[in-house]
Amino acid sequence: MRKKKIIVKNIYKSFKDKVVLNKLNLDVYKSESLSIIGESGSGKSILTRCIVGLLKYDNGSISFGNLNNINTLNDKEKMNYMSKFGILFQNSALLDSLNIKENLKFSSKQDSFNKILNEVGLPNSILEKYPSELSVGMQKRVGLARAILKKPEVLILDEPTTGLDPIIARQINLLIKNLVKKNKITTITVTHDMESVYEFADYVAFLKNGIIEWYGEARKINKSRNSSMINFIKGID
Amino acid sequence: MTRLLSSALALTKRLFKIIFSFFCSIGEIVDFFLNCVKYSITEKFYVNIFLKQFLKIGFNSLPVVGLTSIFTGMVLALQSYTGFSRFSAESAIPNVVVLSITRELAPVLAGLMVAGRSGAAIAAEIGTMKVTEQIDALKTLSTNPFNYLIIPRIFAGIISLPLLVIVGDIIGVMGGYLICVNLLNFNPTVYLQNTYNFVQFIDVFSGLVKASVFGFLITFMGCYHGFNAKGGAQGVGQSTTYSVVSSSILILLMNYIITSFFFRL
Ligand SMILES: Nc1ncnc2c1ncn2[C@@H]1O[C@H](COP(=O)(O)OP(=O)(O)OP(=O)(O)O)[C@@H](O)[C@H]1O
Ligand SMILES: [Mg+2]
Repeated sequence: MRKKKIIVKNIYKSFKDKVVLNKLNLDVYKSESLSIIGESGSGKSILTRCIVGLLKYDNGSISFGNLNNINTLNDKEKMNYMSKFGILFQNSALLDSLNIKENLKFSSKQDSFNKILNEVGLPNSILEKYPSELSVGMQKRVGLARAILKKPEVLILDEPTTGLDPIIARQINLLIKNLVKKNKITTITVTHDMESVYEFADYVAFLKNGIIEWYGEARKINKSRNSSMINFIKGID
Repeated sequence: MTRLLSSALALTKRLFKIIFSFFCSIGEIVDFFLNCVKYSITEKFYVNIFLKQFLKIGFNSLPVVGLTSIFTGMVLALQSYTGFSRFSAESAIPNVVVLSITRELAPVLAGLMVAGRSGAAIAAEIGTMKVTEQIDALKTLSTNPFNYLIIPRIFAGIISLPLLVIVGDIIGVMGGYLICVNLLNFNPTVYLQNTYNFVQFIDVFSGLVKASVFGFLITFMGCYHGFNAKGGAQGVGQSTTYSVVSSSILILLMNYIITSFFFRL
């Protein structure tokens, strides 16, 4: 029995004249892994920022559990709400004035981060380094570690494998799969990497022109009759 | 006729728009300030970050403030000698030097120097954190950016500026002393005695009050503009410019207001 965790209803979001989300509807189910795919600039990151409460939408509502419209939360409630999410930002967003250990301490007060670093494929020696001393791919994995360490209710991953080599990308995909399948964490992944989709997505949402154009089970994605999504997957313009 | 009317209409429209956005930004600044007050009362104070910023704003500004003060003291001695020697009032030079330094020049010059140095750095740092989503990341990690980033910096500014100015006062007076004793053949003991006897508590105190207010303005404006930076590197650059310009203007304005307040006292 699927249980709804997040309900996005008729969300409208625009920047000046540019409409990014145009009455978009989307349900996210508990303990499932949802992948959001779509062209660059279609509004995937904006949608996730609205869901976690970092960005206010102009119209519509997002409900989470018994919270009905997260736009109406006050500052204190908003802080509380955001703490339910573990987020990997598209550009990692590590605090660059702090070293990796201090960065991870924001998520968990523990002293040893050996286990999690091993899981994301990083050596312990990076703990004393600063984000600027790491490659983009390494920063991404630290960002992922930071998101997971929180043991969040919902994990939001904005392009977790972009910029990684195939071997590490595969390792990350398996790690996320493990988290989703074993630990039953609700996960929303924004991705361009179809490997990720096939590996750990239960459901897929295809975002285009400000709405979800196609939504369905990941294993049925190739049988879809939505031509713009099929073209997107196959890389046809 | 209609052309004239429509252009006049367009002009008034523009004017109203400017006035409107001016009041909007005043509103935003007040809102930002109230948030700072609210969170500093209700939530955690990060002592270690405060200390770090205190060193950055206070201690690291010592060379700049020292240099400004010593040259100002020296120039002041020379210039007042030029004037006072015309009516044989050279003995008043120590008095003029200490009065101008403590009441006016040390706080204002230190304020302007620190605005350029630390205010810009604060705006750039926080602005970069804003545009690279580090501030968003903080929010999702149960850390209030006001408490973590802004309030420690503002307190560091309020406390470190007066301390800098005390040092500036002493160095400035020493600058005047150096010129008077070595160049203008004053008696060293008499010079210092004169200075010491003449200066009153209120002279130094009013300077320190100014310094505190300037310290607030510098760090507050740096934080505000950094926190509201938009876009990429260009937005960050703009926020540093705004921060330095607005805090410098506010320093000069508040300097007048505080001076006239103490003048009436
Ligand atoms: N602050 C902003 N002001 C104006 N327009 C914006 C702003 N932020 C995003 N946009 C616009 O919103 C649209 C969606 O942006 P978003 O970052 O969500 O894209 P995306 O789907 O995540 O793309 P990518 O796959 O490249 O990350 C873009 O076309 C962008 O131009
Ligand atoms: Mg994106």
